[in-house]
Amino acid sequence: MLSKRLYQLMLLAYPRDFRLEYGSEITQVFHDCHREIQSGGLATALQFWLRIILDVVRTAGVERWETLGKGREIMKRTDVTGLAICVAIIAGAFFLLGYGRKHEVASILLFGHALDAIVTAGVVGNLIVLLLVKMKHLAQFRTALWSLLIVNGALLIIGTLIGNAVDPSFNFARLFVGYLVSFLFWLTIHWIWSRTNTATQSVA
Amino acid sequence: MLSVAKNVLTIYRVSIYRLVTDMAKQKLEPEKLLPLTSSVFHILLALSDGDLHGYGIMQEVTEHSGGQIRLGPGTLYGAIKRLLGGGLIVETDQRPDPELDDERRRYYRLTDFGRQVLKAEVQRISKLVSVAQQKRLLPKRT
Repeated sequence: MLSKRLYQLMLLAYPRDFRLEYGSEITQVFHDCHREIQSGGLATALQFWLRIILDVVRTAGVERWETLGKGREIMKRTDVTGLAICVAIIAGAFFLLGYGRKHEVASILLFGHALDAIVTAGVVGNLIVLLLVKMKHLAQFRTALWSLLIVNGALLIIGTLIGNAVDPSFNFARLFVGYLVSFLFWLTIHWIWSRTNTATQSVA
Repeated sequence: MLSVAKNVLTIYRVSIYRLVTDMAKQKLEPEKLLPLTSSVFHILLALSDGDLHGYGIMQEVTEHSGGQIRLGPGTLYGAIKRLLGGGLIVETDQRPDPELDDERRRYYRLTDFGRQVLKAEVQRISKLVSVAQQKRLLPKRT
């Protein structure tokens, strides 16, 4: 039955433990509810599916959030410190870049591409790393390595395409160096962060 | 012999577990769990008449709320999970009508503690209704 299969796919939004415990029962209840509305028209079916989708979106989020904090702190002290440092670096780089551009400070603009990359890749890359590490419990440094490589690479490609299209004096080498610096910079931060976490765990 | 030993061990574990959880629940005051969320209140109310399975609870809630509340499967089982965890309901093996019933369904039963919580919530709502009556927002019952 297509609707049942579709609903079973939607159940993937819930955490694994919840699916294992209640998945078959939820599907059974869905099946019963669906049987009820089968005699209705298209409007009834649409209303039913809208209710089901909203239910999954709302409750899957709650269940995921609960699983995230189950049996342990969501954010350890080192995580909060690390996150605060990341935000401070991004804000600092953003402010420096804005100041350099506004007052045309040559010494700051020399590092313009690197600062730009640190801000953009920092926001996107760190968010991805944070979500993957906290929700999927992946190894921090390895996740950071691949995420930052992909994010910096993608931003380099997008930057090159836009730069080539809008700026006749576009310099690929400077952009490349900028994203390379950003990649190495954030990777070093994550390396230090993961080492601190490991040290804290071993002490605990 | 091994299966007998296993059964004895399981019974021992279950009884110890029940003793510990009962002791923990005794310390918990029903009022501390108030106010209940709308879905939790309606689920407990549905189970106050007897054991029901998930779909039965859903139907009962829709019926006693006059069709105003329709629990989604995710909302229902999320609430059931929390109610089981809090000791307000338990899963039961007893079937109201084994002949007509689907064996795959799980039935849920209100615990004594769950009933105490439900009563406390009803009293809380009743007090609110009294206040509303005093403020002439509701006609007084004769």
